[in-house]
Amino acid sequence: MRTGFIKRRLPVVLALSLVIASMVLGACTPQTNEPGGQTGEVDKVKIGILYPLSGVAANVGLDSKYGIELAVEIINGSYDFNLPLAKEEGLPGLGGAKVELVVADHQGLPEKGQSEVERLVTQEGVVGVVGCYLSSVTQTASQAAERLGIPFVNGSSSAIGLTERGLKWFFRTGPHDAHIVGNLFDLMDDVRAEKGKEILTIGLIHENTLQGADMGDMAQKLADERGYEVVCRFPFPPGSNDVTSEVQSLKAKDPDVIIMQAQTPDAVLFMKTMKQFDYNPDAVLGYGAGFVDPKFFEVFGKNAEGVITKAAWALDIAENREDTKKIADMFREKFNQEMTENSSRNFTAFLTLAEAINRAGSTDPEAIRQALVETDIPGDQLIMPWEGIKFDSSGQNIYASGVCTQVFNGIHRTVWPFDFASEEIIWPRQNWSELE
Amino acid sequence: MLPVAAAVIALAYPKVFSLPYPQHVGVLICMNALMAVAWNITGGYTGQVALGNTVFFGIGAYTSSLLLRDFGVNPWIGMLAGTILSMIAAVVLGYTTFRLRGYYFTIACIAMAEIVSAIVVNTRRLGGAVGVTIPIRDASLLNFQFHGTNKAPYYYTILTFLAVALFVVYRVERSKLGYYFRAIREDEDGARALGVNPARYKLIAFMLSALFTSVAGTFYAQYVMFIDPASVLAQPVSVSMCLMAVLGGLGTLWGPVLGAMALIGISEATRVTLGGTGQAVDLMIYGLLVIVFAVFQPTGLMGMLGKLKARKE
Amino acid sequence: MTFEILAQAVINGLLMGFVFALVAVGLSLILGVAQIINFAHGEFLMLGMYTAFWMWALFGLDPLVSLPISIGVLALLGVCVYKLITKRILDAPRLTQIFATFGLSIFLRSLAQFLWTPNSRMIQNSWVGDLRVALGGVYIGAPQLVAAAGAILAFGVIHWLVEKTEVGRAMMATAEDRDAAALMGINTEQMYTLAWAVGSACVGLAGGLLTTFYSVEPNIGLVFGTTASVVIALGGFGSIKGAFAAGIIVGLIQVVGGFLIGPAFKFAVVLTVYLVVVAVRPQGLLGKY
Repeated sequence: MRTGFIKRRLPVVLALSLVIASMVLGACTPQTNEPGGQTGEVDKVKIGILYPLSGVAANVGLDSKYGIELAVEIINGSYDFNLPLAKEEGLPGLGGAKVELVVADHQGLPEKGQSEVERLVTQEGVVGVVGCYLSSVTQTASQAAERLGIPFVNGSSSAIGLTERGLKWFFRTGPHDAHIVGNLFDLMDDVRAEKGKEILTIGLIHENTLQGADMGDMAQKLADERGYEVVCRFPFPPGSNDVTSEVQSLKAKDPDVIIMQAQTPDAVLFMKTMKQFDYNPDAVLGYGAGFVDPKFFEVFGKNAEGVITKAAWALDIAENREDTKKIADMFREKFNQEMTENSSRNFTAFLTLAEAINRAGSTDPEAIRQALVETDIPGDQLIMPWEGIKFDSSGQNIYASGVCTQVFNGIHRTVWPFDFASEEIIWPRQNWSELE
Repeated sequence: MLPVAAAVIALAYPKVFSLPYPQHVGVLICMNALMAVAWNITGGYTGQVALGNTVFFGIGAYTSSLLLRDFGVNPWIGMLAGTILSMIAAVVLGYTTFRLRGYYFTIACIAMAEIVSAIVVNTRRLGGAVGVTIPIRDASLLNFQFHGTNKAPYYYTILTFLAVALFVVYRVERSKLGYYFRAIREDEDGARALGVNPARYKLIAFMLSALFTSVAGTFYAQYVMFIDPASVLAQPVSVSMCLMAVLGGLGTLWGPVLGAMALIGISEATRVTLGGTGQAVDLMIYGLLVIVFAVFQPTGLMGMLGKLKARKE
Repeated sequence: MTFEILAQAVINGLLMGFVFALVAVGLSLILGVAQIINFAHGEFLMLGMYTAFWMWALFGLDPLVSLPISIGVLALLGVCVYKLITKRILDAPRLTQIFATFGLSIFLRSLAQFLWTPNSRMIQNSWVGDLRVALGGVYIGAPQLVAAAGAILAFGVIHWLVEKTEVGRAMMATAEDRDAAALMGINTEQMYTLAWAVGSACVGLAGGLLTTFYSVEPNIGLVFGTTASVVIALGGFGSIKGAFAAGIIVGLIQVVGGFLIGPAFKFAVVLTVYLVVVAVRPQGLLGKY
């Protein structure tokens, strides 16, 4: 009885299921372009960008996307900025072809990063990809680009290993964790040597993620090398509802300096809890999206005062350069929020790729890769405080570096390197009770 | 006639769609169908709502990957080791949780999965939060690695796994075992009264389920070449296989496959067309469809087909 | 380790526990009466928090003042969700119910991102936000104290409603056996609606109180949702007293355990305790079935 029923039903089911599948696939399969481009006259050049636009990192993904949308506007329009491709409309090297974005969401999943690169390249016909923010996704996505032979430029994934894989098609304009954590230790060395402050012990707090663990390991290593003692290390899962045990343990160990990596909600929760426990380390060195996010200051207000952050970009850098300030103003006007570290880093990564495509004068991937290898953008043509952009053989920008900023009246001011400082560093920071 | 046609279409699929993305969607559907078919053995046939099967997926992925990375063990052997470990885990989990009923069991499964995930995240030897990158070997079936943009070899591999799983479930469904499974689902105490030992058969179902889920885990690792706890030992993995089985039709042979097609199809199509806006419209539509479907078609796609058929006759 | 540090950990745990209890009590009531575990409960909390946030941002109302509004909005949401969704699947298999509330959670989370962007937001200068009480070397945060008071109040009200009133007895009768209750002349439809309204109102209260300390973003519900499910399972499904007690226990275990064993394993410790408890008592601490 039952068998017969299944047998009779089977064909219908099979047929329908295949119809559904083919309909769905048909729906999401637009016209196809073979990878590889043409030389000479084209009217537009498609570039893919890939960020977490939903899920826990969505706010950073949007910041990055905004930065790139601004870069596209500057490239395609005519602006009097001392930046590559600003003055002319479109890409002069390709007869004024306009740049067109194809935006994709990887939802923070490595598997989606990989398949989206493949889709962008083979179906949307992009000639290069910029992304992905989360290091774990950048890892698989850049691997896919490598297989397809398409340049992949990254602005804001900091895991060191990304440029140690011997990939030919992967380029990173931004600093990696060794730079970032290295800068924080340089700052501490300088504070010890030049300001005569005593720093002996360090507490590490970081997310239990690829980026977090990478940073924690690097900090541990540098501490050992440079004579600091790490007295405690607390990895935490992103999105915590309670960090009192972490903060209480910190308070019990009482390190001189806390180095913390966190996204915005966790950063806020940590700082609030520290305040509630009246726990006052000499300095909080923050790193990661949480501490450069303007929303961090919006939500945290005066309590953020005195936090030191490692950043590749800060608003006072913008004030020092007229063009950068104008771009930051454009950004504010267009998106109704401040330009952030992640907007500017991805802005720069995108501009670097566009500049290479223009110089290659072709959308042929190999020509673009060659142009990227030969990239040499001087520092005065960047909105970043870098000496320039030039890639080593691993694809890492050798000039990527950063500054350390401290929060004064709710605004990041550069305090290190001391030569570039726009404010004198405050060390130790004020106690919570003094901030009331 | 039709089954033959269906098989031909399934086999011809990567030949017709030669681009990597549609092929990838095909692979995703087969892989998720395999997981949903596996989940359906416990969730559908025996009626035990296990929401922690990501443990078996993770064990499959981690066992083969770590064996390959650290000891150079062939991933096929790693896969076998993974299935054995997963089945052992199923026995341990089963013995400690099968006394629990309803939601108590469900929450216990979630708890188990979260504990295993916390252990892996905090154990450096297992890759910790950084995850494991699978070393690259020459492309061959023996090495379980295929490079380049043609995903057809991966597709056929996972299609074969799926076919085997479907065959096993098909046989189980019509055997005494399948009858016991359903008896436990309908009335556990009644089944016991008839001399069926519910604990024993629930355990068998759980082990079968673990076996296939673990195979899918190894496949995922070899396919994506990178695993970390956030992608293979996470709550959403457990939930999605359950959703596919429910959507397709619980306790049916083809339900989970249909469910995987529909759910992967909808989520990929909405993400690709709308995900770039950054406004989560794609997920809104997805969530809404899930609700509408649950409310108006609680028996799943198979139930819908059954109704259509009945009307026609 | 000094006595002071341990005392601090215990007090933190207790306060956190009241927060968990507050979130879980509503979930427990809905499950107890309407027999559905609401997997979107965390998202309800998120909407409660957003309500309080917008009342502050648009009208300058302190979250403590806008509590009645948060409670009202969420009660209304609960009624809508019941009438539109869960009412139609009361008799569906348990999995279909899970499936529906799970879809609801995805929908609400994405809706929040769609309407209000994924950015974190926080209420500045709320009345109690920056206050704390110092007892010797032990600190007690005012937001947590207020949340604890809210939890006790909510528990008291629900307990009174269920145990001491005619309506409450009708509700429990409906929970035990819907058909029998209907035969006895109880309007079961009203009872279900009431359970959803009151249960959701609890997270409205919780949402309003939590905004004094937590920032709001679309994913905040995930942070509390899983914990709430574990709490009600530990307490015993259907037992409001159990949920309240289990919330406090979970808070204590999480904070004190995290402090002693290592913060990285704090949730794992809670889950292990749950597994041990149900291994001994399959119906949870105070559950009836």
